[in-house]
Amino acid sequence: MNKLLKNGLGLLILGVVAYNSVYFKKLDEVKKGNSKNTLDTKVYANSFYQEKILTNTDKAIAINKLTDKLKANPDETFKQYAHSLGIGNIRYFLVKATGKITKINENTLDFDVDGKPYSIATEFIFGNAVRDASGIITMTTFENTMDFNNVSAELNEIIRNRVVPDLKKKATLGSQISLIGAVELNHKHLKLNEIEIVPVFLSDK
Amino acid sequence: MSFRSKITQFQSLIALFILCVLISLLSDKFLTVNNGWNVLRQISVNIVISVGMTLVVLTAGIDLSVGSVLALSGAITAGLLKNGISIPSLNLFIGFSLLGAILAGLIIGSLSGFFSGFTITRFKIPPFVATLAMLTIARGLTMLYTEGFPISELGENFAFFGTGWFLGIPVPVWISGLVILITVLMTQKTRLGRYIYAIGGNENAARLSGININKVKIFVYSVAGMLAAIGGILVTSRLDSAQPNAGISYELDAIAAVVIGGTSLSGGKGTIMGTVLGAIIIGVLNNGLVLLDVSPFWQQVVKGMVILVAVIIDKQNSEK
Repeated sequence: MNKLLKNGLGLLILGVVAYNSVYFKKLDEVKKGNSKNTLDTKVYANSFYQEKILTNTDKAIAINKLTDKLKANPDETFKQYAHSLGIGNIRYFLVKATGKITKINENTLDFDVDGKPYSIATEFIFGNAVRDASGIITMTTFENTMDFNNVSAELNEIIRNRVVPDLKKKATLGSQISLIGAVELNHKHLKLNEIEIVPVFLSDK
Repeated sequence: MSFRSKITQFQSLIALFILCVLISLLSDKFLTVNNGWNVLRQISVNIVISVGMTLVVLTAGIDLSVGSVLALSGAITAGLLKNGISIPSLNLFIGFSLLGAILAGLIIGSLSGFFSGFTITRFKIPPFVATLAMLTIARGLTMLYTEGFPISELGENFAFFGTGWFLGIPVPVWISGLVILITVLMTQKTRLGRYIYAIGGNENAARLSGININKVKIFVYSVAGMLAAIGGILVTSRLDSAQPNAGISYELDAIAAVVIGGTSLSGGKGTIMGTVLGAIIIGVLNNGLVLLDVSPFWQQVVKGMVILVAVIIDKQNSEK
């Protein structure tokens, strides 16, 4: 009797635990529910680029003004103009510049802005500079980090497919280019003589 | 009791005290409440794994698979919690609650340990080889299950186990405390505990006195596997992500804690509390080296030297 009671109690506990551990659903319903919540990062990135980044270009700082300020007071300049979502030393700036193309390289363009040399990336458009430089995107908008990172990848794709071809067409030796761009700088190891601008938008002026 | 034997008895505690004094003299950040909680939170996983390792070492065995079992259990828990199990041929989705996913992780850990224990006792394979095989099997299964990618975004409820606080103390510290309490009671106050010591002390004598050695060994390896699974759940919860390469070389830290804590690698001698002290010494040492800005490469050298010194001292003591 005692053994029967023990086994019965054990089975009862097992049943309660199992009941609270698993649940069953039809696979179709789960898939339907998941697809409703799936973010189309391509569509999102496109509308983010058109409606958020391009309408916020007035926040961009002139690149020469930025480098002057960084030389004079780096900490304060980073505080005032840099954007980043992480806690590391990498920070992003949204910049504007008008200058001359002085050399056309395989992966970059040499760019002279009032006597100061910079380079514009034309091949390797990677990382989060375009997404983060504007400072208007936050992680909390997204349900998961994968979507957040995919938006960054799609934004880079937009730059590669739309902005860079246009830039390459206009960028002949000695031609004048005006652009809005994103710049990545390391707060701790600041190198102002190696600034590379990722083109975000070619402006007319 | 002579002064020398008193010193021997408390050597781990004395070493920890000297270590704390030295680091606090060199870094003013060491003796702070925040750093104290950080160290305790960080060593919780090693304590849980090391306690399992102690039980195995007390039977004169070794378990090299705990790091891989930790990764496998963490991945299974995270995978079931996030993705459940889909069976397209039956149009069926089996979802797992938090309780279900954690139980599944613990069962996987225990089964891995059971498998090691079974091969060691049934086929008389040396524990070193059997658990080395399990190390590779568990790592391979983790890679297969995760396809080499981390499983992230596991929810706030799950994150509570690795990052939460309860009554002003981090949850991982509570969990490791509970593990210590249960295993101390098991080893010191139960017949099973005495069997474990007896097997490690003299296996033949234990067999002749009627102890079912295979059963006890399989149980001990299963417990070590389950504790590795608890470690896996804590790591996954803390990172909010199951990493396929989690737990690499954790078995070495666990063995180091056991050895520094005074447990004899030949079995039959040692205590859970000694191992806990060993894990705290390793944790404090790691923390101190980071605070003192010592290069990670030198940190490994220092840790290796400490283990070596601990084994030499242990050997000299046991020869006296």
